[in-house]
Amino acid sequence: MVYKRFLAFMAIIMLILSDSVYALSYMNVPYYTYNYDYWGNIYYTPPAYIPQNVLSGVGIGCGDFKNPQDIFVDDNKKLYIADTGNNRIVVYDLNDKKVSEIKGFVNNGVEESFKSPSGIYVTSDGKIYIADTDNNRVVALNSDGTLYKIIKNPKSKDLGKDFQFSPLKVAVDYAGRVYVIAKNLFEGIMSFDNEGNFTGFVGTIYVNISPYEKIWRKLSTKAQRKSQIQFIPTEFTGIDITSDGFLYATNIDANGKQSVRKLNPKGQDIIKMNNNNSKQSGTLSGDLFWRLSGNYSGASQIIDVTYRDNGIYSILDRRRGRIFTYDDEGDLLYIFGGLGSQEGTFKNPIAIDKIGDEILVLDMGRGNITIFVPTEYGSLINKAVSERYNGDEASAVELWKRVIKLDSNFELAYVGVGKSYLASGENKEAMKYFKLGMDRTYYSIAYRRYRDDILKKNLGYILTVIIVLIAIYVIKRLFKRKKIKKDGGSVYEY
Amino acid sequence: MSIDREKLLYPFYVMIHPFDGFYEVRNRNKGSVAIALILVFLFGLSFSLRRNYAGFVVNFVDPRSVDSRTEIIAVFLAVFLFAISNWSITSLTEGEGRFKDILVVIGYSLLPMILTYTPAIVISWFIAQGEGSYYYLLINAATLFTVILMIIGIMTIHNYTFGKTLITIVFTFIALLLILFLILLLLFLIQQVWLFIQSLYIEMILRV
Repeated sequence: MVYKRFLAFMAIIMLILSDSVYALSYMNVPYYTYNYDYWGNIYYTPPAYIPQNVLSGVGIGCGDFKNPQDIFVDDNKKLYIADTGNNRIVVYDLNDKKVSEIKGFVNNGVEESFKSPSGIYVTSDGKIYIADTDNNRVVALNSDGTLYKIIKNPKSKDLGKDFQFSPLKVAVDYAGRVYVIAKNLFEGIMSFDNEGNFTGFVGTIYVNISPYEKIWRKLSTKAQRKSQIQFIPTEFTGIDITSDGFLYATNIDANGKQSVRKLNPKGQDIIKMNNNNSKQSGTLSGDLFWRLSGNYSGASQIIDVTYRDNGIYSILDRRRGRIFTYDDEGDLLYIFGGLGSQEGTFKNPIAIDKIGDEILVLDMGRGNITIFVPTEYGSLINKAVSERYNGDEASAVELWKRVIKLDSNFELAYVGVGKSYLASGENKEAMKYFKLGMDRTYYSIAYRRYRDDILKKNLGYILTVIIVLIAIYVIKRLFKRKKIKKDGGSVYEY
Repeated sequence: MSIDREKLLYPFYVMIHPFDGFYEVRNRNKGSVAIALILVFLFGLSFSLRRNYAGFVVNFVDPRSVDSRTEIIAVFLAVFLFAISNWSITSLTEGEGRFKDILVVIGYSLLPMILTYTPAIVISWFIAQGEGSYYYLLINAATLFTVILMIIGIMTIHNYTFGKTLITIVFTFIALLLILFLILLLLFLIQQVWLFIQSLYIEMILRV
């Protein structure tokens, strides 16, 4: 009887503790999870995402992948893999685990196949767009595998006569406009109208030459100038598109300043950077610091981007295999992933995509796909940022408070909590949280209100004191004058 | 060396009457090196206090990087370096000021900054973003005042014209850099000698 009671007691204890036991178990991930604070210092965070599953070609039943270059997940949880080295597209249904492959299509009665297809995009109505790189064309198929259209040989005076069209990545917006990243094309992303005609470039990256470089070039001779690095803009590396037609595109920035752009339909970059840090200038390029030589050195090489809902986007760093997630304000939310040989690390990551809150990363070197799922910490941040994005700061507060419990260094969470105190008029509490979140703008708003409150409350006392002081001064002066007069006309005049 | 009331209050007189004040420092021994050094110390202290305790809205210093002791020592070193290099330049260019006069000029010129920093810190606790200009106005005005006092002081004690003063100040900074370079070189060489002696000693211990 006692034994049974003891068992029941233990069971209850276990139930209570189970949440924290879970919290402990996922601390053990094969990569560093950290973030940067206001001062640019690294601090370690709980992992936001943990590896859940690894999909390999053999594992899903279609034979090994060979140098796969791109993945895409459509709304029906169908996973499309551009298996570049095997010249095929593998389609894997994540719901019923069925696998099929697309090896070619019929064009005017002729069987045609792909040659190194390295980009894939599927529209919401099921059209499959394939960047058929070595055949110099973009192939669009209907969902049943029949040919929809082919985009090839774009003609324009902007492109030059001997331009060879080698598409690498492709994306399609809601209106059927096709955006293509092509090899050796530095002018930007090629855009095509829904008939497949080339309409121009979007998002050209302009070269910034520093004054130092300018002077150096002026001083060097012609021969020296030739051997120097050419100042050409970098190519785009990855592309994703939102449901309302905004384009997220990544490029490799050796200076580590801006590696991701949000392009509006006119092709202008409208991404937001967060300047609230000790340097007063934001970066959107993964790591803030890096080694200058040796292993893992150099700025993050951002290779792909995936837009997740509510303004959140994740970018993939090829150099150190890390995934950086930002929100619409340009705040760095969390970092996870790394290079290595354990589950959850990569050899040569090349593409990233999402299913809901889960993140998929394609490893070209190992030919597999890792699926990451959010931990409690990660999903709390996701939810809180989404609430804020949708204008519901009040319901984000409870989430931010739970985030602070898991990670007391997360400045964004303090600002989130502070905003709710500000809204409810508890200005002093709000000031405390904004100070912890290092947000001077909101701190000032809270402080002004707090100061006004105190002044209003004590206006009576303040006015009384001022009037009394003036009265004392006046009386004193009158008294002194009388004294002087009593002296019988002093030489001192006031 | 006795410090009487008149000498204690003399920096305030100099602050308002710099030409007369510094003239009497040079020619009637009205200044005091001890008071000048105390003022330098107070400046170091208020400089450090400002870095640590200025209000959140105007303070962009990482509190973890503030170390009052190091900062006060650094201020003293900077003052001595400037004084030494100024003295070495002005001795060559017919400056009439003695080394102690230069120290007094530097110390007494810092008074406006000492007097404004602490009130500025207090003001900064009560301002919001956008009102920071009051704080910065105070700080910058004090700095400008100090610079003007210092230029007048150097001009007066050495009996220079304004142009010559500016040129000597430029040369003073060049001399300052040279001194720093020599000190670093010397330190490096001493280190080398020390390492040599050390290894010699170890060699002796192990062999003999």
